[in-house]
Amino acid sequence: MAQAIVTPLTQALAEGKLSREELKEFMQRSDAPALRRLALWALMLAATTTLITLAWDSWLIWPAMFVQGVVLVHHFSLQHECVHYTVFRTRWLNELVGQVCGYTILLPHRFFRYEHCDHHTYTQLHGEDPELIPLPKTFGQYALYLSALPYWRNKFTEVFRHARGHLSEAELKFIPKEEHPAVFRDARLMLGFYGLVITVMALTGWWGLVWYWFIPLILGEPVMRFIRMTEHVGRPTVAQMSDNTRTSLVSAPWRFLCWNMNYHGEHHYVASVPFHALPRLHEVLKEHIHVEEGGYLGAHREIWRQIHANTRRGA
Amino acid sequence: MAREKTWQGVIAVADLEAAWVTRVTFGPRNLAIYDTPSGIYVSLALCNHGGADLCDGYFDGHVIECPLHQGAFDVRDGKAVAAPATRQMKVFEARVEDGMVQIMV
Ligand code: FES
Repeated sequence: MAQAIVTPLTQALAEGKLSREELKEFMQRSDAPALRRLALWALMLAATTTLITLAWDSWLIWPAMFVQGVVLVHHFSLQHECVHYTVFRTRWLNELVGQVCGYTILLPHRFFRYEHCDHHTYTQLHGEDPELIPLPKTFGQYALYLSALPYWRNKFTEVFRHARGHLSEAELKFIPKEEHPAVFRDARLMLGFYGLVITVMALTGWWGLVWYWFIPLILGEPVMRFIRMTEHVGRPTVAQMSDNTRTSLVSAPWRFLCWNMNYHGEHHYVASVPFHALPRLHEVLKEHIHVEEGGYLGAHREIWRQIHANTRRGA
Repeated sequence: MAREKTWQGVIAVADLEAAWVTRVTFGPRNLAIYDTPSGIYVSLALCNHGGADLCDGYFDGHVIECPLHQGAFDVRDGKAVAAPATRQMKVFEARVEDGMVQIMV
């Protein structure tokens, strides 16, 4: 008889870490929490956009753009939730909001979904997890990663490759054949959209979006790189979910921004649980996952320790 | 010669999880039995995307969502309704007779 594959969830259920009743309750979807949060999200964006406007003629525009950038790059967190269809109970809303987020941060939604599937299947496994961020060997590599320069280089290369109708060897593994044309079309549409935005700015002579959107995105991305590192970097590169993923306990504003994705171990255990139920799932699973009490900084202190130990060993 | 298909009982309706999905092992098959607003539906329990057990997934109305990557299927006809699920899943003709869920196999 064909057997279901073993996943972190089946393990958690089999080992009694989570009961079927609890699972059922945590998975329940609703549109209301996300709509409330999105309303606050829009207010927050309006506030940071106003800051840029107020600071327009002074050097203060740079910190204002950075703040805007921190908000903009967190569209990744929302898009990630949409990939899992857990933001809204109404399925098409996840698709719509995910697409909007993708256009905001240059990340085609469909492609991200397929890539992310393999990240969940092969978390932290070298050569299999397409989102694996290796532990930097030196502090120089660490700084380079945080600059987000390699990230942007990869993103642009990726989108242009898809727009030309090509997929890399790794991408061929996780994108089903019948979806290749759609992935190529998505990339062309996205590039076309950015091209249109730039053309309209050139024609009108109003380059405001460069200051409200593009520069803030570049300024903010290192913050997202810093956060993304806390999810798995420095954790063992093994299949065991309780070891390979890190939950970081962070303050309410950061939880708001990242749609509770700091509860990353819980998310990897049960990816069907919506963002608003993750804090409750944390209470059930916290003894079975790796929890960093010191927040994002605590996770990086651990990464620094490991880089330091490795460089000393190599010296 | 192929055996003619017949109705076979797989589980008592009383044993189903109400408005949810129930896992049943039936001979060589793992089945998922769905209690929906329009009746009982039955499919193979393993997701045809990556082999996860649909019975641990989220069930809403007529849609079963896979617990691993959240691909989803309409349990009435097996159609894939959300990526990464792209292929129709195997469903069985089902009915309720004398308090038992039966499938045509
Ligand atoms: S295993 Fe079911 S959607 Fe991937």
